[in-house]
Amino acid sequence: MPEAEEEELNAAGESRCITGIDGLDRILNGGIPRGNTVLITGSCGTGKTTLSFEFLLHGAIHDENSLFISVTENWEKLLKNVIPYDFFDDSLLKSKKLIMIDLGAIYSKLGLEKAEFTMEDIDIIVRAIGDIVREWSIKRLVIDSITSICFQLKTKEKIRDFILSLGKNLSEAGCTCILVSEISPGEQSYSMYGVEEAIADGIVLMANLQRRGDLLRTLQVVKMRGTMHSRAKYVLDLTSVGVLLVPLLKGGSVPGGI
Amino acid sequence: MVIKVDDYLDAMRGTMDAFLLEKDLSAIYITSTIPSQSIKNVLTILEIEMSRIYFVDCISHIMMGTAVRSEHVSFVESPTMLENIMLKVEYLMRSIEGKKLVLLDSINSLAIHNNTKILSEFLHILVNNLRAKEAYTLILSVEEQSSEEISNMLGLVCDESLNFTETK
Ligand SMILES: Nc1ncnc2c1ncn2[C@@H]1O[C@H](COP(=O)(O)OP(=O)(O)O)[C@@H](O)[C@H]1O
Ligand SMILES: [Mg+2]
Repeated sequence: MPEAEEEELNAAGESRCITGIDGLDRILNGGIPRGNTVLITGSCGTGKTTLSFEFLLHGAIHDENSLFISVTENWEKLLKNVIPYDFFDDSLLKSKKLIMIDLGAIYSKLGLEKAEFTMEDIDIIVRAIGDIVREWSIKRLVIDSITSICFQLKTKEKIRDFILSLGKNLSEAGCTCILVSEISPGEQSYSMYGVEEAIADGIVLMANLQRRGDLLRTLQVVKMRGTMHSRAKYVLDLTSVGVLLVPLLKGGSVPGGI
Repeated sequence: MVIKVDDYLDAMRGTMDAFLLEKDLSAIYITSTIPSQSIKNVLTILEIEMSRIYFVDCISHIMMGTAVRSEHVSFVESPTMLENIMLKVEYLMRSIEGKKLVLLDSINSLAIHNNTKILSEFLHILVNNLRAKEAYTLILSVEEQSSEEISNMLGLVCDESLNFTETK
């Protein structure tokens, strides 16, 4: 099957999902191990949505169907506000290489418009997302944000159950998934409920770094199952040619100061 | 490339002629010495074509408080923001077509604003990155402002050292 031939295998014969963000692929030694569920976490304005969207665009451009599930805002509004990437093309939407949906639309289709979900509801939602992924042969999925979904799950048990069964479902479909996680700026843990980070296969931390009065955006891969990776901090810039990353110069950090 | 202060204009003309015209390159000009507008004025006097020269200007902000937006110029707020210089260069490397020359003017002025440790880290990353992308990198060092530390640093990253006065 042509699909199998196109799989990018690294030296060890493992399949990688090449994010298309050069700096990140280099940090990850060739991309995200395929089928991983990765938490991209950080406070507001650190670039999580921008980076995740670019990940999907590169997929769509290279014939990997990509799905964006928007939880917090309407996807059309999101598209209007996201950086106008030089490589974005409306035809990606028309050809359904890039599919954008609001989670609200899935909820209402399932008749799940309520404030708190039960375990059965979680099952139904996971199955619904899994069905969409299979129906459209989705290889890359972004959910922005998982934190908003967690609000409706309320308990740690349900959050754990949701992320675990979603991850398993997607992994079986060969789909690589990014879950966007929102934390407050001073937050010590990597996720709002602490559960998300423990279950995810990978954690990418995005943050703002104050240095001598300058505000820098940083990115750090904290964990990634299935690959060696750098754990160093990188400085990033969100530009029309994509997210650019350079190493944070170590001589530059002020002692004691973040 | 080591130059004397008095040779600045000749060095500029020589560099531009040698690389931009003869080798058909675009140039990314990082300036931490003179505001890009002044360099543009000089290049105009020297009648050098500027359509393929892109500036990363990290001195205008601190010298003049503000920077006037200008075509082909991206500004970095201060020469201490070395990561931002790398990011601007990276952006230009991606958005400009064809072969490129990156000119760093100068290592001495960067050394005024940064300590040697961070500067040599910066140079290593910048030069290796540009080498991987097959760009020519030219680092200007002004003889009168140089030091042993700077010469050693350059010795580690450069393939070749040109002495402008000797090669004239
Ligand atoms: N159209 C745009 N042009 C330039 N920069 C933009 C644009 N849209 C967003 N940004 C930059 O991206 C930042 C927000 O990034 P975003 O990915 O939404 O962050 P997060 O999802 O982490 O809250 C903004 O603060 C802004 O600097
Ligand atoms: Mg966001």
